[in-house]
Amino acid sequence: MRLNILIGGKAGQGINFISEVISKTVTNHGYFTFNYRDYSSVIRGAHNFNILSISDEKIESHESHLDGIIAMDENTIKIHKKELKKNGFIINSKKFIDLKKNLNIALSGALIKILGIDKEFLINEIRKKFDNEDVLKSVERGYITQENKFKLKKLKNDLKIMSGSKAIAKGAINSKIDIYFAYPMTPATGVLNELASKQIKNNYLVFQNENEIAVANAALGASFSGARVMIGTSGGGFDLMAEALSLQGITELPLVVYLASRPGPGTGLPTYTSQGDLNLALRSGHGEFPRVVIAPGNPKESIEKTNEAFYLSQKFNSLSIILSDKHLAESEFSLNKNIKNPLSIKMERKIPGKTIVKASSYEHDQFGNTIEDAKTTIENANKRIEKYKSIKKECEKFEMIKIHGKKNSKNLIIGWGSTRGAIIDAIKDLDFKFLQVIYLKPLSNKIKKEIQNAKKVILIENNLTGQLGRLIREKTGIKIENRILKYDGRPFYSDELKKEILKVK
Amino acid sequence: MKENLRTKNAITWCPSCPNNMILESTKRALTNLIKQGRKKENFAIATGIGCHGKIFDYLNVSGFYGLHGRVLPTALGIKLGNPNLTVLGFAGDGDTYSEGIGHFISMGRYNPNITLIVHDNQSFSLTTGQATPTSQQGYKTKSEPLGEFNLPLNPIKLAISSGATFVARCNARDINHTSKIIEQAIKHKGFSFVEILQDCIIFNLKINNKDKLMYKIPTKNRKIKEALSLADEWDYNLRKGKIPLGIFYQEKRKTLEEKWPQLSYLQKKKISWKDLKK
Repeated sequence: MRLNILIGGKAGQGINFISEVISKTVTNHGYFTFNYRDYSSVIRGAHNFNILSISDEKIESHESHLDGIIAMDENTIKIHKKELKKNGFIINSKKFIDLKKNLNIALSGALIKILGIDKEFLINEIRKKFDNEDVLKSVERGYITQENKFKLKKLKNDLKIMSGSKAIAKGAINSKIDIYFAYPMTPATGVLNELASKQIKNNYLVFQNENEIAVANAALGASFSGARVMIGTSGGGFDLMAEALSLQGITELPLVVYLASRPGPGTGLPTYTSQGDLNLALRSGHGEFPRVVIAPGNPKESIEKTNEAFYLSQKFNSLSIILSDKHLAESEFSLNKNIKNPLSIKMERKIPGKTIVKASSYEHDQFGNTIEDAKTTIENANKRIEKYKSIKKECEKFEMIKIHGKKNSKNLIIGWGSTRGAIIDAIKDLDFKFLQVIYLKPLSNKIKKEIQNAKKVILIENNLTGQLGRLIREKTGIKIENRILKYDGRPFYSDELKKEILKVK
Repeated sequence: MKENLRTKNAITWCPSCPNNMILESTKRALTNLIKQGRKKENFAIATGIGCHGKIFDYLNVSGFYGLHGRVLPTALGIKLGNPNLTVLGFAGDGDTYSEGIGHFISMGRYNPNITLIVHDNQSFSLTTGQATPTSQQGYKTKSEPLGEFNLPLNPIKLAISSGATFVARCNARDINHTSKIIEQAIKHKGFSFVEILQDCIIFNLKINNKDKLMYKIPTKNRKIKEALSLADEWDYNLRKGKIPLGIFYQEKRKTLEEKWPQLSYLQKKKISWKDLKK
């Protein structure tokens, strides 16, 4: 069983309220949900929608064909009616218009009736957010207008809901972060807000600097003092940080960077999604120095891989970049409640206050004094390469790739990051296996063998040029000819992706 | 007992460059502070890129030789990373007023308890003498063969206007005065800014030897308006006027560390983030 319900209306009308209370109610009933948020860079008025998928099995994607539409305005019906399945339902807000700000509560009541869930479960959820007498009345107003269309019986799954942003923040807190520096930029702001809201309780600091250049340089200053730091931004802000990533390379101060992509170039599409910044994450910053680039594909991986990013950066005094995008950051996933225990992270380097320590952006000797001679220059460069080799060896202890789908299939799909969910859901009934690349740098040696063993190989990416494909070609010499690339700022729908996959001969 | 703040590194500033005097003034100020009970290990400096930055190699205290223009964010980060450290930033005029101007005007708002010392020789000297925002009009350089067209910036006025809580100016050659001002700046609780006028003996020679225009202002509490009008006495163009030296403005305001409960806790317990049990 799987339902896709679109909730649409004007920016500011409270679409997210409906998807949130419905998600929570059905999740408490043991159902898996996935909530995709499609909104423009407008605070009030523009057409926005969410697609909430509900299933009795694990899902991590939304589909293009709708079982129902909840329309907070007429425009929503006009735009999305053609996506509705034959027997699909529409809940029109017209008859509740007098409820004003409680309109979304009535619509939630109407939807819960259609889903066949007792309204008390919904009322409990809404009351956690705000409690007034009108809540009951408004739920009732919606509830009585509909008939049961489905019967969602209680299932035994123990689930909660989490976005990619909240998961990254959780990973940072699990890693005992001391300071998060950031400057607001969609879609990285979710982590800034989440970490800011939990700083006092968890005893760390969230600081918003005057720009991203200050963010990155201040983070290295704090790292020098011994604090465990992370910074976060999207592509444009990341460009500004690039000088400090290079500074990290020579000062060898631990630094974790969270990069949440959106479509570029330039300001691009600020509230939409893209995997266009893989090259940026791999290569930004002048000079040659080691780094790790990790791209989790869902909230569970975001928690665990953020922890690995901290672990590696502290162990090797190195740079870890966590690469995400709007689709992972802002979509809401069902999450199984058991998560691995975080890695214990130790810091062994010297810090000021205890002794005299020097960090330098110049090439320097072991004490931090500036040098310019050829011999030390070569020694230092070699040390940086040796360090990368040690990092790579350590990374092999972690899951650098994952294999999903039919493990013995000769048909192979390769992808990374937020396309994970749509690919897994698309190949559910197909003879395919899916190689998910999680560590983009270093790249797992196992990838080459997987490609060589396959008959058909398809590269799937949410970008224009197939950046992972290029990386694999660079590392293995193998060019993947079959490519499904999407670069309209929107993520893949799993049902459409399935059709695309089947088209590949 | 004189604290050993010297390092073994050979000094590579030009012979008789006033940077040597700024180094001496700093050493005297730090020695005094150490005598008064501060621990040498608790000092941390941040430097930018330019002639001034070489001071990193000549001072035997903890330090971070940062990027051009980024002394203030680096220093702020060091302070946030351990609010119990005494943090000093050394920067150049190009460094602070050109590449790093956005950081400079943000610091007054934050008011962290750190000190910024600017070596202002009114020239980008390590890149062979191009004009900086404090160069005088008409200054001809390899990159400005027609002469600098732009009006110079007055950093004293800018610092007062943007909320710095300690603003002073010194003459690099006057080691006694400069060392005392640096000491007071470090003792000040909040963002303290000391601009040190220094000659560049290789480039921008025309702006040199203005010592006779300089005079010392008495240390007293001034309103912003009065401090600004004092700062207006010299416009960095060396046409006329007198050059006031000393503390222009001083104000008690809550520091960044006092505003954040997490940081004041670390200060109260005298521990760093590393020592904090989570």
